[in-house]
Amino acid sequence: MNAVPALTGYAAVVGVVVPPLLVRSAWPHRIPVLGAVVWHALALSFSVAVALAAVGLAVPTEHLHAGLVGVLHYCGLHLGTGRPDPGTADRLAIALPSAVFAVLAASFTCHLVRARRLRDRHREAVDLVGRHSARLRATVLPYDRPAAYCLPGRRPRIVISDAALRELSPEQLDAVLEHERAHVAGRHHLVLAAMEAFHSVFRRLPLARLGREQTALLMEMAADDRALRGHPHEVLATAMYEMAAARAPRGALAVGGGTVAVRMKRILVPRGAPHPAVSGAIAAVATVVPVLPLLVACSPGLG
Amino acid sequence: MRRLGHLEAEIMDRLWTWDRPSTVRQIVDDINETRPVAYTTVMTVTNILFTKGWLLRERQGRAWLYTPARSREAYAAALMEDGLGTSRDRPAALMHFVENMTPEEIDALHKALRSVGRRAEP
Repeated sequence: MNAVPALTGYAAVVGVVVPPLLVRSAWPHRIPVLGAVVWHALALSFSVAVALAAVGLAVPTEHLHAGLVGVLHYCGLHLGTGRPDPGTADRLAIALPSAVFAVLAASFTCHLVRARRLRDRHREAVDLVGRHSARLRATVLPYDRPAAYCLPGRRPRIVISDAALRELSPEQLDAVLEHERAHVAGRHHLVLAAMEAFHSVFRRLPLARLGREQTALLMEMAADDRALRGHPHEVLATAMYEMAAARAPRGALAVGGGTVAVRMKRILVPRGAPHPAVSGAIAAVATVVPVLPLLVACSPGLG
Repeated sequence: MRRLGHLEAEIMDRLWTWDRPSTVRQIVDDINETRPVAYTTVMTVTNILFTKGWLLRERQGRAWLYTPARSREAYAAALMEDGLGTSRDRPAALMHFVENMTPEEIDALHKALRSVGRRAEP
């Protein structure tokens, strides 16, 4: 007699049913940052549901509400509903959900540390080999194809090939650099690391797989939008084409394909952000979704 | 720390430009043309570069002759390919402008560009 079946059902809906629907819906591409927020809200909501289901399994005889009060009590929140008995079950009721979030936090930290180490080593090498251009606020590397990437983080670098300087028009170049600066300024690597962490823990889950993929794409779109603020659409689109085409000979290694095409179409045929009311409603949903499992667990009908 | 990194770059820069085995003395003398720097500092940093694998060295009399392990272009190409993510498992480490695509996908891009009446510059 507890909320475990309801929570499991909820987790299945959020983890398996909703993600493909979200991938197919059009609005996240029109407002990418909010789209990424929703993916993260779903991931958080799923984690909360799993943690609460764990509580339900640990304390099968009690209504979850008691377990929750215990958790909140433990966190220093007194609801005036009386102290829960500090029995073994209560301790488990705290330990199990904490473990879910401890694993997620550890995974997140691990991703950040690993990525930072890679970037540090890379940046050190880039600083030795490249020439910093104060005008471009970027490091130029000798490379025979137009290409650009960024090393986000505390000591960021934007890296661009000298071929890009030769082959792109000054406007195109500026649009590309603006795109990279948006990644750095927006701290997109942290957003991606959070989804990476979730994916490492729930590897096979559609929400994890699609969420990671989509978050990466949405961050690119967010950076595109930033570049589009100061540059005409066709400038960014043609720059994108130039750079994609230059890399085509290595096409055998193509990964994730098609996302540039999606971005390009979006740049060339902009649909604009949805009505503020729609965005507001989506933001409200994103705020509520993480606490939904609590409602599922505590709904009176399931007592 | 930053200054040390800067000196590393100065040393590598000279060795790449000269393109011949050189001694620490030669490097110090060249840097001293623009600013004063202690021989021991350059020697230490050169040694660090050797330990890190950036430089090779061989003895000539009592001095070491240093050469870059690889050309600047070779390093740059390796870095670029790394940064452009030919390795799949580091999407969060570096972010690149476009991913690798197949020729068919490039074709589709070109068509997309043309279909809206824009001209893709050659």
